[in-house]
Amino acid sequence: MGNYPFKLDMQVALAKPIPRKRMQLWRGDFCPLPSENQWIYTRRIALALVLTVFFAIQTKAQTQPEEEVKPVPLLTGSGGFITTFDGGDPHLGPIVTPLLLVPIGRRWVFESRATFESDMVQVPGQSGFHGTVEKEVEYAQLDFIANPYMTVTVGRFLTPFGIYNERLYPIWIRNLASDPLILPIGLGPSNASTGAMVRGGFKANPKFNINYTAYFSALSTVSHLDSDRFAGGRLGIFVPAARLEIGGSFQHGLQNERSNAFGFHAIWQPPALPLDLRTEYARSISGSGYWAEAAYRLSQVPYLQNEFRRTQIVARMQQYFVGANTSDALPSVNTKLFEVGLNYYFMDGLKASSNYGREFSTEGNKNIWTLSLTYRFVVPLGHSGSE
Amino acid sequence: MRRNYILFCLLGVAAGLTFSAIAQERPNSTGAQSAAVPAAQGNATSQPATHTVAPAKTTLQTAEERAQRLEGEKRFRTNCGRCHQAPHKFPPRVMAAAIRHMRVRAMITDEDMRLILRYMTQ
Repeated sequence: MGNYPFKLDMQVALAKPIPRKRMQLWRGDFCPLPSENQWIYTRRIALALVLTVFFAIQTKAQTQPEEEVKPVPLLTGSGGFITTFDGGDPHLGPIVTPLLLVPIGRRWVFESRATFESDMVQVPGQSGFHGTVEKEVEYAQLDFIANPYMTVTVGRFLTPFGIYNERLYPIWIRNLASDPLILPIGLGPSNASTGAMVRGGFKANPKFNINYTAYFSALSTVSHLDSDRFAGGRLGIFVPAARLEIGGSFQHGLQNERSNAFGFHAIWQPPALPLDLRTEYARSISGSGYWAEAAYRLSQVPYLQNEFRRTQIVARMQQYFVGANTSDALPSVNTKLFEVGLNYYFMDGLKASSNYGREFSTEGNKNIWTLSLTYRFVVPLGHSGSE
Repeated sequence: MRRNYILFCLLGVAAGLTFSAIAQERPNSTGAQSAAVPAAQGNATSQPATHTVAPAKTTLQTAEERAQRLEGEKRFRTNCGRCHQAPHKFPPRVMAAAIRHMRVRAMITDEDMRLILRYMTQ
């Protein structure tokens, strides 16, 4: 056992966290008791959410049955192995992210996702790679589909700030293996909130849809389930004909410095090209920055179509500026990072990725190489309805 | 020796994942073949996969089904294609669970959800 190369040594601290680790500290290190004004503010938000739920339930009778097929509980998720050379230091990152999805009746869904991951590094004087397995419940939420326009969520949920955390974070969805530098802005500890949320999407006009989210998160210091006290929302406008979505996020902290955070996002898929363009900007008291990403599928190459249609090239540029307050989750100095990548989709759910990044900062420039293999699995926990 | 062991382990994991994926893919290979084409390639001009129409169905029903299928495919590519590559089709009850999850996560509209579910379970 002593010579086993992947032994898990709980005593060994990580040499340096790799960029995509989501276990991180935020501004919850000092949490004074809330003042009376804060309680009043909190009660108002709670009252607003309760009234929203009440009126949502009142409109329940007006809605139509939503699905013709009875859904089955699912165990899905992804697994992967990510190898990173960060400034020449190798990191091995196995990760498993199971997601349990339990539809209840016609309007309820319980969903929970956990992450088991490690960042194994070489320790001077010891052989092999060492690291700890970090466990986290990313979210465990109960959703009530109140009507076609609104869903009410309670429990622990991914903080809906920007687009990356909620939509693009899973390793089998993202185009590049590393997180954007600004990802921790506006998300709270562990990128999750504990509280209640209302959200939905509807056709506002024949030409565009609107999607919205409003949420309140309470302070939690429970290990692996920590969150900050804040309230916020996100609003997006989606134009289906142009395949364009633009939106913005806002968050108001209800503890410590009671600061605000805001951001903007845009996604565009030109209808005539297999091209994805995504960008995001975020600003808080801890810092600000942006990222812009383009991913092009080589399906228009006229030869070797079976191979090229499975191949995607990606480029991302991002920049981060340090703010007034520092955060352990964010870079400590102004940073620029350019990345290019190549993805190959063997089949649905199985993807190999490689990317190269060059980071520029006052702490020194460095190269970051990443290789990864990711797989998405779906296991129905019951009869799936196939013939 | 240890490097070989690491390499052996990695190859084993890769082989296991590949065989698992192939086994999952095989029953739906026809659907996968058509769905693996990236989103924009088959946008508004895309043609549905050829399928046999039951002789008993009227021309009107067939045209309506065809229109719904085209609309469902379009909604799928427009909504789901923002984050996902086109997947092969899942069994109906699996797809119903997934679409309910995505309704909450991606905030797709009620109408889009119905059309996508119908398209993905046909």
